Amino acid sequence: MTSNEKGKQPKILILATLAGGYAGADATGQAHTDYPANTYILPVMCPVMFPPEFFVRAFERGIDGIIIMYSGTDSPYKVEADGTAALINRSYALMKTRGIDIRRLRLAAICTVCVKPFLKEVNQMADLLKGIGFVKDEIAAPAAA
Amino acid sequence: MPEEKKFPETTPASEEVRVGVYTCHCGGNISHVVRCERVTKSLGKLSNVVVARTDPSFCSDTGQAIIEKDIKELGVNRVVIGACAPSLHEQTFRNTVTRAGLNPYLYHHVGLREQDSWVHGDDKDGATEKAIRLMSAGVAKARLLIPLDPIRLGAEKQALVIGGGVAGLRSALDIARQGIRVTLVEKSPFLGGRMAQLESIFPTDEEPRQLLHELIEQAAAYPNITVLTQAEVTAVSGYVGNFNVRVTQRSRGVSDEMAEALAAACTQETPDEFNYGLTRRKVICRPYEGCYPPLPAVDWEHYDGQPIQLNGKSVVLKDEPQVHELTAGAIVLATGFDPYEPRRGEYGYGEIPEVATLPQLIRALSRVPEGEPLTWNGHPVRDVALIHCVGSRELDGVHEPQADGQVNNYCSRVCCTASLHTAVELRQRFPKLNLYELYQDIRTYGRGHEEIYRQAQAKMVRFLRYHGDERPEVAAAPAGDTHPVLVRVKDTLTYGEEIEIPVDLVVLAVGMMPRQIDSLVNMLKVSRGADRFLLEAHPKLRPVEMAVRGIVLAGTAQGPMNIQESLSAASAAAAKVASLLGQGRVELPPFVARVDESKCNGAGACVEACLEEGAIALQTFQENGREVKRAVVTPANCTGCGACVGVCPNRAIDVQAWTLAQYEAMVDAIAMETPAFSEAEK
Repeated sequence: MTSNEKGKQPKILILATLAGGYAGADATGQAHTDYPANTYILPVMCPVMFPPEFFVRAFERGIDGIIIMYSGTDSPYKVEADGTAALINRSYALMKTRGIDIRRLRLAAICTVCVKPFLKEVNQMADLLKGIGFVKDEIAAPAAA
Repeated sequence: MPEEKKFPETTPASEEVRVGVYTCHCGGNISHVVRCERVTKSLGKLSNVVVARTDPSFCSDTGQAIIEKDIKELGVNRVVIGACAPSLHEQTFRNTVTRAGLNPYLYHHVGLREQDSWVHGDDKDGATEKAIRLMSAGVAKARLLIPLDPIRLGAEKQALVIGGGVAGLRSALDIARQGIRVTLVEKSPFLGGRMAQLESIFPTDEEPRQLLHELIEQAAAYPNITVLTQAEVTAVSGYVGNFNVRVTQRSRGVSDEMAEALAAACTQETPDEFNYGLTRRKVICRPYEGCYPPLPAVDWEHYDGQPIQLNGKSVVLKDEPQVHELTAGAIVLATGFDPYEPRRGEYGYGEIPEVATLPQLIRALSRVPEGEPLTWNGHPVRDVALIHCVGSRELDGVHEPQADGQVNNYCSRVCCTASLHTAVELRQRFPKLNLYELYQDIRTYGRGHEEIYRQAQAKMVRFLRYHGDERPEVAAAPAGDTHPVLVRVKDTLTYGEEIEIPVDLVVLAVGMMPRQIDSLVNMLKVSRGADRFLLEAHPKLRPVEMAVRGIVLAGTAQGPMNIQESLSAASAAAAKVASLLGQGRVELPPFVARVDESKCNGAGACVEACLEEGAIALQTFQENGREVKRAVVTPANCTGCGACVGVCPNRAIDVQAWTLAQYEAMVDAIAMETPAFSEAEK
């Protein structure tokens, strides 16, 4: 971690589908299982609505890690499984051009009762960010990334 | 084409945005961790926020009245509420703001309980900062909300009921009586489900097949009800009000005239699932006399295709499935349960012949004539041990997981009473039996059920209590012993005394398991709970509705229930269907794509990206004397996935209430370096 700000935590944005990840996060809450508080979950209908520029913009604003928790092939939307995978690939390509570590963006299939997979994804991202630090440091000094 | 219901547009675009922010204590569920007053203080400093409040329970009548009053008296025209999960109370608060004259889509819900206080109990500062950032994001989104109208569609006054057990039959009949046509689809060749396998039902000791018969007779005779047996739903599309359903129905295989003769002539046999494998049956059969339909049917799963010799002729049976295309405004899922099947070796099941499940014993008892002694595996039965909680209340890390890696940690609720009811019957029919009930806790919770427990006590049934992680052990007795099985139990009623009971029969009071209905779940896109039963939208507010609109639950598809509860749920489901379809139209949320005509230049990327048939198309318009192309959305066909949004080069299309600009604003609020909460400290 290279932040100068004492106590500052990296921010993890979770874009969670209503049919999958968001309900999975609620199920995790119902299980009263702890995970880091620097996680901010926003409900989405389907992640294909985001262009790659959305993620890059979020990183540039200071979001250090993004997990897309989608429903995969269980989605109510025909486009979600393949469309999201394609979106991630396009987003990785754009992130590389901006010097952003592509590990900061993850895609995970989370179902409505996927408590353990939800926790695994969150904790893995939290651990990753402990290692690679804040995104703003990375963008400020791309050569060091 | 869909009609649009018009709500009063209380906030024209030009009007000042006035946000009310409400942070709910949720009766301490949130406020015990999140410092709600600090959240309120922080949010109150944000631009456009005109009032920020906390309350012990905003979902209560008094809590909702506060919000309504602010809308009316303070001119609040955007509402942000931080409370429990949106799935629980989003609709409650939409109704609240509507009552106050505000468009229901000028409200945003932030989940602060399941996704904050309940998961960050050891980090109050972190949870409070998170609440502030999430609520700030909610305000950021609220600033960009616009009034929306729901989409109103015509609805078919036709319902589909899947499952022909007692819950499905009750639902079908109750719906039909409201003037709605019903198609009842049953996978097996006969109606009645699990209830038909019982001989006596508690607490009234009535004959279940007689009760079923009355229900079936009414349903079969009702003109609005079409019954399809040996039928399965094989495809579903559409949405509430207009589900398009394909049902594939196998043929009965034998004509009415030939059915009895062919059943008599048939020689091929298979284990009889009606008797839980204790007996064998023919592959042309009926489960019991008096079943419906009354004539035998062919079991295509087990028929080997060999000709049947009848009157000197060879008869080869052919399955010629029929496909039915239906339209249904609503779907009732009454798919029922399966009894837990113990693993081989679990309490000796499958290895020791004198170990059986409670459903097996009930079927076996039905075949013992009155006055005859009880025998098992050729031996007279003198001592019987009934073990509770088999396949229920299992513990992670203690019990062996099932094929899907999970253990059944739920209570199956009915097995205690069922076990005791059977013990009382055994005592009455075979007075000299020694009966032992090995239990964790006695949960005879229904009306009249506790009396069965008392009867069992009074009739000298012996109770031994074991602990969940020290379950009884069952082993074959050494050769020459007086009894074939030994049961060992550490009895907590005698302070942990280890007791060995020689018995002639061990009965496993197995729990209820969710049915294997994966394909149905995938087709309907419905949710299952952590226990793998189908999950209602809200346990208290929407207890028989699923999150997918137009799909409701009846009976044990939702979780363990007794017959009385299944029937209550079935009638509740029917009432929901009747209220949904009674008007002949339904409302859908307005979360569909909308094109900004000022930005659309007809690039067409949205049309290419869209996989929903008829949802979006390019149309040509005349504008200032020249032809222009623009995307046009058909709301009834749009699912709101947003595939069009992500590819538009001009940002000319968005999903209403879920716009890209709203997400960007929320991200900015979450990411801000100097968040509102630190301002609150000043």
